[in-house]
Amino acid sequence: MANEIWVFIERTAHGDMAGVSKELLGKARELADANSMKVGALILGAGVGDLANVAFSYGADTAYVVDDGALAQYTTDGYVGTAAMLAKKYQPALILTGATFQMRDFSAALAAELDTGVAADSTNVSIENGTVSAVRSSHGGNVINTLTFAPGRTAVVSVRKQSFPEPQANPGRSGAVVTEALPGVPMRARVVSVAPKQGAVNLSDAAIIVSGGRGLGSPENYYKLIPPLAEAVGGAYGASRAIVDAGWVPYEHQVGQTGKTVSPKLYMAVGISGAIQHLAGMRSSRTIVAINKDPDAPIFRVATYGVVGDANEIVPLLTEEIKKRTGK
Amino acid sequence: MHIVVCMKQVPRDNSVKINADLTINADGIEQIMNLFDEYAVEEALQWNEKLGGKVTILSIGPEDWKEQIRRALAMGATDSLLLSDPTFTNLDTFGAARVAAAAIKKLGDVDLVLCGRNSTDDETGAFAPALARLLGWTQLTYVGKVVTLESGKIVAERHLEEVVETVEASLPAVATVVKGINEPRYPSLLRIRKVAKVEIPTWSAADLGLSAADLLPALSLVNRVPPPPRPKGEVIEGKDASEKVARLVDKLMEAQVI
Repeated sequence: MANEIWVFIERTAHGDMAGVSKELLGKARELADANSMKVGALILGAGVGDLANVAFSYGADTAYVVDDGALAQYTTDGYVGTAAMLAKKYQPALILTGATFQMRDFSAALAAELDTGVAADSTNVSIENGTVSAVRSSHGGNVINTLTFAPGRTAVVSVRKQSFPEPQANPGRSGAVVTEALPGVPMRARVVSVAPKQGAVNLSDAAIIVSGGRGLGSPENYYKLIPPLAEAVGGAYGASRAIVDAGWVPYEHQVGQTGKTVSPKLYMAVGISGAIQHLAGMRSSRTIVAINKDPDAPIFRVATYGVVGDANEIVPLLTEEIKKRTGK
Repeated sequence: MHIVVCMKQVPRDNSVKINADLTINADGIEQIMNLFDEYAVEEALQWNEKLGGKVTILSIGPEDWKEQIRRALAMGATDSLLLSDPTFTNLDTFGAARVAAAAIKKLGDVDLVLCGRNSTDDETGAFAPALARLLGWTQLTYVGKVVTLESGKIVAERHLEEVVETVEASLPAVATVVKGINEPRYPSLLRIRKVAKVEIPTWSAADLGLSAADLLPALSLVNRVPPPPRPKGEVIEGKDASEKVARLVDKLMEAQVI
């Protein structure tokens, strides 16, 4: 087992290094320094350009690069096959990836290919005496699990973004580039097209989310109250499962167990009673405001600030007050 | 076309407790079909109606897990298979994938495996990718629409965070589906009665040729705790709605969240 921690480098739509990859390089650097290890950046793609140097500036010692037209788009076969070839050859102790859908697809398949396990959607990772452990929640955030990997097997951990701070870049740092050729793996899937998602709302990235629920009474009330309040605070708008299933609001907006898990700095729950399935998706938000006419609603148990009252009366006043006070 | 749907039984909600030995205690919580798996069952049924063949519901669990399998049969699945063995009790995600892979290999004629995008209890989303690699098949995760399904080929839309990726892949394959791909049907009373006495075939570890080593967890669970409690909140009081609103905005500005 080589003494290396690898970070899979993800790119934004513009080809730059994704924030989560920088965060992971920073964490890998910290773990490597504490355990006399090295940091490797795993860079797969077509036309990867300057990414190796960017990786060095964020803490990588070595960049493992496979630059091939066949990797222009993510396919499980192409990316997992290539990463598995590199991992079998260089035997890193740990491979870190982000936890986007694409990376969840990649990390689980890679772990299976390497006959190891994956700690999916983790929020922390550590190494002690050569043993890798990861922390991940399950059961809608109601259970926090610490898992360890068997020593001598490559650990694979996908990590939720913003679990670690983004490090300062050090543009003067350099490293070694190891270039490998695309291995002969079967490519059984082909990406036919990629289109922007209709009505996509990236709730996971929003710093503020205003969500509405059944307590609003009707879809008309939802649209009259929630998007304007979200706009006043510069946030996105979400919804409980009940009103998504009732067809008031598209699924893209659903927060909770079968929707999105979010942890914004401010989450406002309006007319949402706080079913455990909803709390699962938002309970780690920093500040939670609950507005509900039922003082016994479970949402008040997680709220930082609760207002008991009719949303139809309170929300228009709140929207106006916020606009007035923040000068928007 | 033979479609297998891997179905997991999960607690209806996640208000679970943690036992002293770190296992999950879901006593008193109703067990249901994993919500995402309901969409997988429905998708399999819709394609089965067009193409014919078989839809087999495959589940891993004790004998008393047959109720949810019956629900899927009542929805319209043609076949079922329970993988049950005392040694399956504490399988982790990859262990479960090895058990399912052995069963699918033994079935022999499977074209497509459908699963929900993840279970709502463990939430790893790693079962289907592991299953695909163990079978040596293609995988398509987070499918929001199956465009084409025909002999040897699938075309599907993967609904990712910000884009829709249309992928063409060869069969056999393993695919996971997201909520919204369809509207799962309710089983009719007539069908519920019809399948009430259907024999559900059950295979053990021995039937699958699995050894103890195949069932070992890949990761060791060393600690399991509830999340830290949230700091106690406060109810904003006021003589009327305007006063409450003004006080709330004061608090939010003090906290620098707006």
